[in-house]
Amino acid sequence: MTAPFPAVDPQAAQRSADPATATYVFAVSRGLAPEAVAGLIGHREGGPVRLIDAGGLQAVAQDVPYGEFCAEALHRRLSDPPELERCTRAHHAVVDAVARAEGGTAPLPLATLYLGDDRARAALLAHERRFRASLDRLAGRTEWGVKVHVPTDDGPRPETSASAPAGPGAPAGPGAPAAPAGPGASRTPGAGRAYLDRMRGRQRAREQQWAASRQAADAVDRELRTLAVAARRLRTRDTGIGAATGAGAGALGPQILNAAYLVDRARSAELLAAVDRLRRAPQLSGVRIELSGPWPAYSFAETDSESESESESDSDPGSGEGGAGRDRR
Amino acid sequence: MTDYDVLTAAPPAQHPTTTNLADILERVLDKGIVIAGDIKIDLLDIELLTIRLRLFVASVDTARKAGIDWWETDPALSSRAAHSALAEENRRLREALESLGDSGEVGDGGEAGELESAGDGGNRGRKAGRS
Repeated sequence: MTAPFPAVDPQAAQRSADPATATYVFAVSRGLAPEAVAGLIGHREGGPVRLIDAGGLQAVAQDVPYGEFCAEALHRRLSDPPELERCTRAHHAVVDAVARAEGGTAPLPLATLYLGDDRARAALLAHERRFRASLDRLAGRTEWGVKVHVPTDDGPRPETSASAPAGPGAPAGPGAPAAPAGPGASRTPGAGRAYLDRMRGRQRAREQQWAASRQAADAVDRELRTLAVAARRLRTRDTGIGAATGAGAGALGPQILNAAYLVDRARSAELLAAVDRLRRAPQLSGVRIELSGPWPAYSFAETDSESESESESDSDPGSGEGGAGRDRR
Repeated sequence: MTDYDVLTAAPPAQHPTTTNLADILERVLDKGIVIAGDIKIDLLDIELLTIRLRLFVASVDTARKAGIDWWETDPALSSRAAHSALAEENRRLREALESLGDSGEVGDGGEAGELESAGDGGNRGRKAGRS
């Protein structure tokens, strides 16, 4: 009785009465014609992708073999990279195929499963208001992803003071971090001090670079927000490794912005043009802007998504090394 | 490494595209409308796994082009590397501390801050400095 709806309904689902089958729900939509999902493959182990009506809502769903989608099997499969990729792409392909539904499409995360259609229907009805609000907001709109990377500066930085040279290996050199405190160096008196000075100088350079990056990211974000009905900053990636090792980051540079924008479909061309403009902007030269989309509106499915969820600590490429030191001053 | 090759087979994203696995993972694991299902899986576990994959996938195309193979020694992607990287870091910091200790400069706040900022080994280094 504590469950939101009955644990297992014996007279559930005519379609999925077979205990060997579970109902996998990809997305919730409305006003879709059955043809919209005809021919979609979904998970290769499953049956045809179909629609389950629930009030005015529709679950885009598929029967899948329980043995392959029970908790244990899922855990095993999703922990296996190739299998994870397969499931992920299968899920996304279906969501993507119905994303342009006129009534809107609210994507569900990977692996939302029910023991039969009735259970799926009950779940949709239990969250009906939430889904309707989501669909109202998403209809006619699409998500674009924008990632911004700054170049790592291999050359000497003018701001770096003479007392704190960056060292023979520039920050981006793969061997640089290890070199200054090599076994030989550290036996010389004062080498530890020099090491710390180098670290300090490096950090100062990093902070300056970071400030400039911040401005670039904000410039891009500000511009694109003017075209969006909602925007969201996602966690930046590749921060840890890039910042911590000083290598690898040299290739692409740290990611300074990872954002998603919800844009009216009618304004898609404007968005593309704006990104193009930003890429050519002189003050952003060297900054790399990656655009992906149009996406099903994964990042805007939940109602609270308009409130910007900016995670400072996550989005600071310097946090791996610089964060603690800076806070201590 | 062969497992990861599958993940990186997708072409690098240049023009608007949604084929990049890292991008898809980022969305299908974290986003969308979350409602309780009958089958519970711990997406958090998956999340932890894929954070590493994401890091990997996000950088691999460009890195490869640049001839960089840092992931082979990256702690997040190789347990062997994790071991040696931490050991190396610790050794380096200890040495730096020892040479500082000789000149009697250990323990002042600024230095400790700097050391801490130098990486994971910072905490350990600080403890060593106090003893």
